[in-house]
Amino acid sequence: MWKTDATGVTHVETAVRQCLPPCQIKCPINEDIQRTNVLISLLPEDPDLAKTGVIQISEYLYGKNPFFNICGYICGICELECNYGKKGGAIKRRLLKRFLSDVYTEHLKEREELEILKNKENVAIVGGGPGGLMCAYDLSKRGYRVTIVEATDRLGGALWLVPDYRLPKDILQTTVENLVRIAGIDVRYKSRLGEGRLTLERLKNEGYKAVFLATGLPYPRVLTFEGQFVEGQDLSGVMYGHTYLYEVSHNNIPSNYFKGKKVIVTGGGNVAFDVARSARRQGGDVTVVALEREDKDHQDGVPADEEEIRGAWEEGVRIVYSRGVRKIVGQNGKFKGIDCPSCVSVFDEQGFNPKFDCTDCIDLAGDVLIITVGQAPDRPLLQKENLLNERGRLDVDHLTLQSAGKPWLFIGGDIRRVGFMVEAMAEGLVAAESIDRYLRGVDMKEGRRRDYEGYSIPVRRDYKPEPEVLWIPPENRMHFQLFEKGLTLKEAIEEAKRCVTCGPCLSCKACVSIGFQKSLSPVEVDIAKCSGCGHCVYTCNYYAARLVNRGDKIVSETDMFKCKSCGMCVVACPSQARKMVDDDTADKIASVYAALS
Amino acid sequence: MAKPKVAICWLGGCGGCDEAVVDINEVILSVAAAVDLVLWPVALDFKYDSIKAMKDGEIALSIVNGNVRNSEQEEVAKLLREKSQIILAFGACACLGGTPGLANLTTKDDIFNWVYRDAPTVVNPNKSYPKTSSRVNGKELTLPDFYDHVYALNDVIYVDYYLPGCPPPPYSVMYALSAVLENKLPPKGSTLAPQRALCDSCKRNKSKPERMAIREIKRIHEVEAAPDTCFLAQGIICLGPATRDGCGESCININVPCRGCFGPVEGVADSGAKFVSALASILDAQSDADMTRIADQVTDLAGYLYRFSLPTSILKKKRG
Amino acid sequence: MSQYKPKLVCFSCKFGWGYLTDETNLANKIDNWVPIICTGKIDATNIIDAFERGADGILILGCPEGDCHYQDGNFEAKKRVYLLRKLLESIGIEKERIRIELSVDPEGIRIQQLVKEMSEDLAKLGPPKKSITVRKTTKKEAVKAGGRK
Repeated sequence: MWKTDATGVTHVETAVRQCLPPCQIKCPINEDIQRTNVLISLLPEDPDLAKTGVIQISEYLYGKNPFFNICGYICGICELECNYGKKGGAIKRRLLKRFLSDVYTEHLKEREELEILKNKENVAIVGGGPGGLMCAYDLSKRGYRVTIVEATDRLGGALWLVPDYRLPKDILQTTVENLVRIAGIDVRYKSRLGEGRLTLERLKNEGYKAVFLATGLPYPRVLTFEGQFVEGQDLSGVMYGHTYLYEVSHNNIPSNYFKGKKVIVTGGGNVAFDVARSARRQGGDVTVVALEREDKDHQDGVPADEEEIRGAWEEGVRIVYSRGVRKIVGQNGKFKGIDCPSCVSVFDEQGFNPKFDCTDCIDLAGDVLIITVGQAPDRPLLQKENLLNERGRLDVDHLTLQSAGKPWLFIGGDIRRVGFMVEAMAEGLVAAESIDRYLRGVDMKEGRRRDYEGYSIPVRRDYKPEPEVLWIPPENRMHFQLFEKGLTLKEAIEEAKRCVTCGPCLSCKACVSIGFQKSLSPVEVDIAKCSGCGHCVYTCNYYAARLVNRGDKIVSETDMFKCKSCGMCVVACPSQARKMVDDDTADKIASVYAALS
Repeated sequence: MAKPKVAICWLGGCGGCDEAVVDINEVILSVAAAVDLVLWPVALDFKYDSIKAMKDGEIALSIVNGNVRNSEQEEVAKLLREKSQIILAFGACACLGGTPGLANLTTKDDIFNWVYRDAPTVVNPNKSYPKTSSRVNGKELTLPDFYDHVYALNDVIYVDYYLPGCPPPPYSVMYALSAVLENKLPPKGSTLAPQRALCDSCKRNKSKPERMAIREIKRIHEVEAAPDTCFLAQGIICLGPATRDGCGESCININVPCRGCFGPVEGVADSGAKFVSALASILDAQSDADMTRIADQVTDLAGYLYRFSLPTSILKKKRG
Repeated sequence: MSQYKPKLVCFSCKFGWGYLTDETNLANKIDNWVPIICTGKIDATNIIDAFERGADGILILGCPEGDCHYQDGNFEAKKRVYLLRKLLESIGIEKERIRIELSVDPEGIRIQQLVKEMSEDLAKLGPPKKSITVRKTTKKEAVKAGGRK
C-alpha cells in the first residue's frame, strides 16, 4: 500500500544519546511502537484496502519481533509507561497489536521463507520457549545454522500455560510453527537435556560452536511456611497450578472437572489468577488466597494485573488478601482445608520475607487445593552440568549472558531470572548478539549498555479519554473462548490517532517511510539574528526549542533529538532566525507563486 | 585639504530627525569644524541652486530624512543622489516610509476631501483645493504634485546606508558621521544598527514566563503597566520581538511598549507579517470563540503593525 | 465581460488530506496546490506574499481540531488566519479571500470540490481591487537612478 523503503526496518541510530518514547523504553525489546501507531492511524477505512497496509505494518514488526501477534493478547507492559496514562488513559497498544494479528496470523501461514545465506557456524539453543525462539530467529537472520533442542513435542515453552481465554492456542501454534519454517530453524523435539546422553558437552562435541541455554522454569515451587516445607502436599485433591495449567493445555482435563467442588488457589500472581479463572470455568467454586494485600500501590501489593483481578472478581472468584498457608489439613488421605494466619508484611529490607500473626488465623475448607506460588528450575540438571557456583546460583554475566565457567555457553530467560514473555525474548536477543560477537572474536561488552532518556508528553490543549474495552458479560464467559472484544478497523485507526508521538523522530520516521517528506529537516538557529525573545520556546510543543546562554547573550537552540521538524518555531520566530535545512517547502511555495503572475 | 562636504536635507518629514542632529549638543561644533555643511534647510540658508551648481559626487555624504510624497521631494532626492557619493537614509520615514506611510491606507482624494472640505474645523467656502498650477494676478504659481502614494527613499533613488528610528538616537548620528569621515563603512546597503531584535538588549526579556500564554490583550493607556515585566507577558502588544535593536530602549525605559520605529530585523522583508505569526503563537485560546474574543481586543491591527513601515511592507498600500 | 477565473492557492496538510492517493495524480487536477506537512508551517508572510504575487484567494485545509499530528499546528494556522483577515480587511482585501477548513479527507476527493466552491464564491466577489495606481514614470526613474526594483 505504501511505497516504503525496502523492508523498512528502522535502525535506531546509535546516537550519542539514546532517546526513545517512554513506552519503547519500557518494552524490553524497544519495539517501534510509535512508528506502528502512526502507520495504523493512516490506514484507509475500507477493510479490503486496509488489508495490504496491515500486512505491511505487520511485516515490519515481524522483522524484529516474530511474536508481536502474541503480544497482542498477553503483553501490555508498554501501556504502564504511556504518557497518556495520566491524561485520559494509556494508548491501547496491546489491542492495536491484536488488531494487526487478526489479519497477519492467517497470513503467516503463506508467508515466504526468508532468503538467508546460512554460511556461519552451527549454534544450539536448548529450550524452544520465547527466549530460545527469539535467539534462534535473530541468529538465523545473521546467517548462523541454528538448531533448537526442545524437551517436549511442541515449541512455545511457558506460553502453552496461558489459558485459551487469554491466548487462543491456534494462534500460538501457527506462530511457532511458521517461525521455524520462515527462518529455516532446525528443531529436535523430545530431546531433553540430561536424558539419554544429551549434555551440553555433547552438544559442543557435535559441532555446535555456541549454546544458549533457555530451558526456563519447568517445575512448580512447593509450598513453604517460614522456610519449612508444609506437610500434606501429596494429599489427594492437592495439586500444583503449574501442573494443572499444563494438563489443561494438553486438553487432559474434562470441561466440568471441578463442578460442585470448592477450589482454593494459593498465590497472588498472574499465574494464580490464570489457575483460578480456569478452575472457575471448569465449574469450580473458587477462592484465591494471596499473601499480598489488595492495595497495588503498596510495596506488598498483589502482583497480579488489575485486569486479571477484575476479571476474576466479575466471574465470581473470591479473593482473600493478606493470608498465608500454615497447615494443610487432610482426612483419610484427602484434602480438607487450610489454616491461614494473617500476613502482616511480605517484603522488607531483606527482600521477600513474609511475616505472620498466627494469633489471627482462619480456616478455609475445600475439596481441592491448587498451589501456585511460583516456578522452579531443574536444579539437579544445573548441578550436573556444573553451572552453579558455591552459593548455588547460576554464574552468568548480567550484560552479556555469558556463562562464567564455559565461554561458549550463554544462559538467559526465566532460568536466569523469572519474568514476562517479552523479557525472555529480550534476553534471547542479548544472547544472540553475544554469541555473534563471541564467534566473530569481537569485544563482548562494548556499546552494550544502553541508558535511555525518556520523553514527556507534548503540550496539547485537550486530551481524549481511552476507548471502552468490551468484555463478554461474566455469566456468558464460562468457557475458554476469548472474552475480550478486539478493535474494529475504524476503532483501531481512531485509537492509533490518539497516540501523541512523544518520542523522537530518529527512532520513528514513519512519515518519511511512507513518503510524506524526503527527510526530517533539522532546524538551525542563526544566532547572529536570534534575540532570545522566546517565541520559539512557547510554540514548540515538544520542548525542543530552548533558550541558552552564549557568552553574554541569550539565544535559542534546538535539541535535535526532540525536534519534530514541524516548522512551527520557524514560523513563530519574529526575526526569521530559524531555518529548516534541506527543506523544499519554501521552493515549492515559490514555484507555485511564480505561476500566479 | 578641503573639508568633506555634507548635506542634511528633509523631504516628507516632521523635523524630528533634524532635531536629532541638533541633539548631539555641543558636539555639533566639532562637526561643523570637521565638515563643510552645504545644505540644511532647517538650520542654514542654502538654496537648491547651489547644489545644482555642484559637480556630480562633490558632496561626500547626504543625510536625507523624510519620505517622498510629492514631486519636489522626489526632485530633491534625485538631485542629492546625483551630487553625492553616499546617501544615508536617516530616520524611519526615509528608511521605511514612516508614520505618514499610514496614509497608504487611504487615497489622495479621500485625504484632500477631508483636509480641504469635510473636516469639522475647515473654513473653505470656495472649496478650493491645491493645484499644481494656478494663475494668480496674471502670474503662474506652481505647487509640487501630491502623489497617490507614500514612497520610502529607496523607491526613488539608490540608498547607500540606512539608519532607522523615529528619530534615530543622537549617538547614532555621531557614529554615522565618524564612519564616513574615517572611511570605516560596512558594505553598501547596510543598516547602521544591530542585526537583532529589541528583545536582545531589553532588560525585561528575562522576566518572561516559561510559556507565554496571553488571554487578554490590553492597550497601554488602559492599564498601569508593571515597570520591570515584559509587556507581552502583561498582554500589552509590544513589537520588540520583530523590531530591530539600536534605539537604546527609549520607549521601554519610560514604560511604553515598542512601536516598531526601527523597522524589521536584518533579513526580514515585512515585520508586520512576521509579527502576526509571532503574536498568534502566544495567544492562548481554548476555543474558537475564545480566539475571536482575544484577537478582537486588538484594535486597528494594520495601524499597529505597520505604524512606521507600511510603504516598505509586502502589500505597501490599501487596494481600491 | 471576460470569463474571470480566480487564481486560488490551496495549502493542504499531508496528514489529513489526500494521503491515500498518489500526490502527482492529484497535483495534475488541482491548480496552485501546495501539499505541506502541517498547516502550522504556513507563515503569515506566505499568505500576504501570495496576494502580492497575484493570488485571488487562499484556501487552507488542515486536520480536525484535536487531531493535528503536531498537536496544535491546525489551531495555530487558525489563529494566524483570523488575525490576517483583520489585517487584510484594512488593506482592502476582503476576508472572504482567505478560508481555512479543518477536516479529514484521506482520499483527497474533497480538495477539488472545495477549491471549486471557493473559486465560484470568489468569482461572485469579483477580481480583487487593484493597488492604487503607481506613477509608472516614478518606477522607471527609480530603477534608472539605482532604486529598489
